Amino acid sequence: MKPAPFEYCAPEVLTEAVEVLEQNEGDAKVLSGGQSLMPLLNMRLARPEVLVDLARIPELDYVREDHGALVIGAMTRQRTVELDPMVREKHPLVYEATINVAHPQNRNQGTFGGSVAHADPSAEYPALAVALGAQFKAVGPDGERTIDAEDFFVTYLTTDLEGAEILTEVRIPALPDGAAWAFTEVARRHGDYALAGATSYFTLGADGKCATARIVVFGVGGTPVRASKAEQAMIGEAPSAALFASVGKAVLDDVEEPQSDVHASAAQRRAIAGVMTERGLADAARRAGIAI
Amino acid sequence: MTSRIPNKIADLPNSSPRFIGQEVERVEDRQLVSGKTEFIDNVSLPGMLHCAILRSPNAHAKITSIDTSAAEKMPGVIAIITGEDAKRWTQPMQTVPEGWGTLCLATDRVRFVGEPVVAVAATSRYIAEDALDEIIVDYDPLPPVADTQKAADAPPIYDEHESNVVFQRKFTWGEVDAAFTDADKVLTDKFRWHRLGANPLECNGVITEWDIIDGTVTTRGSFQSQVNMGLLSAGALGVPSNRMRVISQPHGGSFGGKGGPRGTIITALLSRKAGGRPVKWIEDRMEYLAGGAGQSWDRFYDVSLALKTDGTITGLRVVLLDDLGASAEGFGAVSAAKPLAAFTGPYAIPVAEYDLTLVATNKLPQSPYRGMGPPPHNWALEQMVDLAAVELGLDPAEIRRKNYIPKNAFPYTIASGNEYDSGDYEAALDAIVEMADYKALRREQEEAREQGRHLGIGLVNTIEPGVFDWNAYAIVGSQQTGVPEGATVGIDIMGKIVAKVGFSLEGQGQYTVISQVLADYFKVEMSDVRVVPQDSLSAPPHFGPGGSRLGVAITGAVLGAADRLREKLIRVGANLLQSPPEALELSDGMIRIPGVAEAQIPVAQVAATMLARSDLLPEGMDPNPEATYVWTAAGRTPADDQGRAKSYLTAANACHLVLVEVDTATGMVEILKYFIVDDCGTRLNPATCEGMTQGGVAQGVGAALLEEYVYDDDAQLLTSTFIDYLIPTIYEVPMTTKKALVTPSPYTPLGAKGMGEGAIHTTPAAVMCAINDALRPLGVKAHEVPASPRRLWTLLHDQSVG
Repeated sequence: MKPAPFEYCAPEVLTEAVEVLEQNEGDAKVLSGGQSLMPLLNMRLARPEVLVDLARIPELDYVREDHGALVIGAMTRQRTVELDPMVREKHPLVYEATINVAHPQNRNQGTFGGSVAHADPSAEYPALAVALGAQFKAVGPDGERTIDAEDFFVTYLTTDLEGAEILTEVRIPALPDGAAWAFTEVARRHGDYALAGATSYFTLGADGKCATARIVVFGVGGTPVRASKAEQAMIGEAPSAALFASVGKAVLDDVEEPQSDVHASAAQRRAIAGVMTERGLADAARRAGIAI
Repeated sequence: MTSRIPNKIADLPNSSPRFIGQEVERVEDRQLVSGKTEFIDNVSLPGMLHCAILRSPNAHAKITSIDTSAAEKMPGVIAIITGEDAKRWTQPMQTVPEGWGTLCLATDRVRFVGEPVVAVAATSRYIAEDALDEIIVDYDPLPPVADTQKAADAPPIYDEHESNVVFQRKFTWGEVDAAFTDADKVLTDKFRWHRLGANPLECNGVITEWDIIDGTVTTRGSFQSQVNMGLLSAGALGVPSNRMRVISQPHGGSFGGKGGPRGTIITALLSRKAGGRPVKWIEDRMEYLAGGAGQSWDRFYDVSLALKTDGTITGLRVVLLDDLGASAEGFGAVSAAKPLAAFTGPYAIPVAEYDLTLVATNKLPQSPYRGMGPPPHNWALEQMVDLAAVELGLDPAEIRRKNYIPKNAFPYTIASGNEYDSGDYEAALDAIVEMADYKALRREQEEAREQGRHLGIGLVNTIEPGVFDWNAYAIVGSQQTGVPEGATVGIDIMGKIVAKVGFSLEGQGQYTVISQVLADYFKVEMSDVRVVPQDSLSAPPHFGPGGSRLGVAITGAVLGAADRLREKLIRVGANLLQSPPEALELSDGMIRIPGVAEAQIPVAQVAATMLARSDLLPEGMDPNPEATYVWTAAGRTPADDQGRAKSYLTAANACHLVLVEVDTATGMVEILKYFIVDDCGTRLNPATCEGMTQGGVAQGVGAALLEEYVYDDDAQLLTSTFIDYLIPTIYEVPMTTKKALVTPSPYTPLGAKGMGEGAIHTTPAAVMCAINDALRPLGVKAHEVPASPRRLWTLLHDQSVG
């Protein structure tokens, strides 16, 4: 398990990294935390001619708040996000998603940007990004642009990024005031990619009924799936165990054709997405002190 | 002359033993935890080359051409070998049964995905792997034999055999037909155990050099049994056995997965072609999973019990179809034979039958795995006992109690011929029922069911045959009786003790056991004892770890050697004390005359006298304060025509009680509580025993819930990385609540029993029985291991797909 030969470059400024990508378009690959790319290289499943390591570009490593939103530099280690007290206090759903990412050893190396740019549909951060309506900032030969989360994830391991574009920042809006939230998944072992999972939040109006609802399921298609029908089923309804059960069932209609493999069948993945939604909503209500 | 090997700790020549039976610090651990242990990949020899192996992507194909010309021209590539070299220089690898093996590299045909086809030696592993990219092999695909149940009728994968049936025979022990005719009730069920196996932290690794001047091959590597590796490699390479030198490096676990001789043979041929330069091959995990020694037990069971209405089991029939894979090189057949050593488990079932069929398919050849065959057998048997309990309206604990071999019946010969040395299974059951508060757990289960939660209890007691013997496998062609294990024990001029043995570190702590035994025998500190491993040509006859034997065997070897040394010391002491030898004894580190206070000399002084005062020795005395003893189990018998033999010397037993919860919505299983009562006779080092048990639980949980090699209909491996082949981690394995009972063996050194395989015999059965206990009210039953979420969910929600 040794990689095929490649040229390694580790620029210290972003523009140089973009230049290298542009000069080697199609043959170059960006290395961030290496948690997915390094095994692919070692197994010779990925054979880039040039590897552009972003680790020496200091401007991509930060976590900060901007007008209430959480802003994360693409090269920020997942562990940094996890250990940031501001994240834990003000962006609890981001924290909850983070501790579901693999193991601490992986999070020490793995980056926030690397995870979303890898776009594994079973991963936690892409689902989180879609659920919270994150915006992705990318820099390429033509300058900078911003991409909405629902446009960013195209299909399995594929994003909207162009060949010479580099993801630089992810901006994650805060949850609405008073939102009840949850992140739930089923993995065969602690830290594995989920068979399926769900993340959700909702708010109640003055009448005690759901005013907003957001539900995203993952591991059940080529990208995180926004469960619009399930969301609609919540709006205007008072939270209850029966409501959450019917919302969970509604999720089944939002999921088209999940993958089937040795770990779970397509039907099972779809069902688990519904169950995780239902259990997550109950978790959310419990955590927010909402009686159901 | 036989040696006096004490059967009890109290019979050691020490009035206050301090180490044996105590939880001492392991002598191996400081090196291990500080990173100083020299594993094979840490070894680098001058001029060493690195090997990479090109493997078959096809399950079954004819090789039409191999073109290595481009690779040969690459800078840094020194030697390339193909099946043609293997054909010219080697013999097929030995198999059991005979005649079902291949050369180390495929010649005209490949028979499994991952089979080695070409090997390259280069100046670095990178270059060697680059060279593999440049080798062109043309294949003409053949239809693969992937379906075990259809393999017998499929076209044979070996031209020299008429079918793919490697072995087929029915063994009958007693009047089985009568037992089933006379039964009040006969129960039958089918079970499927899917492929899984050993996955040590470190894969296989070797460095081999062929001295082409004097014809000696030296191979060092992570070998479980260096003598076995030597014989298998020498046979294939055509090297005289005394010119095949095997050095076993410390290795990162084995569990049976350290592989056959392929790695040694391939690197030997590369070394020969490279003019004798050493060649290193480090097996990576992808090679291991697809083409290594990690796959075992691919089984279909059809089991019947004959019962009386009161729950007495009067007969057992087992029909087994086992898929050996593409050859019999890895002792898969031996795994199918081993259940003879404990066929009827802890039960006094008077008659039994074993209808055994082993087939070849286009999957990786099976290899040994911890437990070596009984774990699936135990699961099938225990699941039948649970079924009998349900059908007869008995509690699972009570039907077991009713059928246990009573404690006054030992030594007890089971239907399949082996003799159990000792045991008290009812005491283990009583202890676990009390420890777990079994009645309270049943109440908890009832209450949970009322809340819609699905809890289940598994209660299983299994036998672990210990101290393996080749005669147990006579039915599939094993010829030997007895497995010798030797040690040389010496005292140097400074009074320090050296023990020389024929095995290296593997993780089980045998060096600690040796140090404990010798420190107590001669009444010194453990740090005064040094264990020094020897290579295969310098060690006394040995086998090394395997089959739950080394703790017992090496204790016998060092005690036998110590006793021979004692005799020498007494002869010299007699001269020094001017008394007849019969008047002297070794006691508390002194050679002395009992009852005469001044008449004693420290052992160290006597030993030093032997080496430095020849003038004080008796005439003709051998002046070497060193002795060798080779231990082998007494009383073993060759197998009769039905395979019956006194084989494994000891019968440990372990009673497990596990509480699980099945999440019916997801198919996931959670282990809530786990209790173990374990009886392996005298516990030489209780901490090590506990560690072995807990490790066996981990692998048992893996077997029951996670681990599975999945091949598709074309015999392509779908679980080729650790993303898909799931090893349990600390999060999935419960820390168990344990209690030890001690029923010593009457036959073994210090009364210890083999216990290294431990809980893997029991945990899969216990967890599966618990899952089925949970599922019972839902009207479904898990018949396949592992009970993966996919299988359980399908069983519960989508039975049409089943």
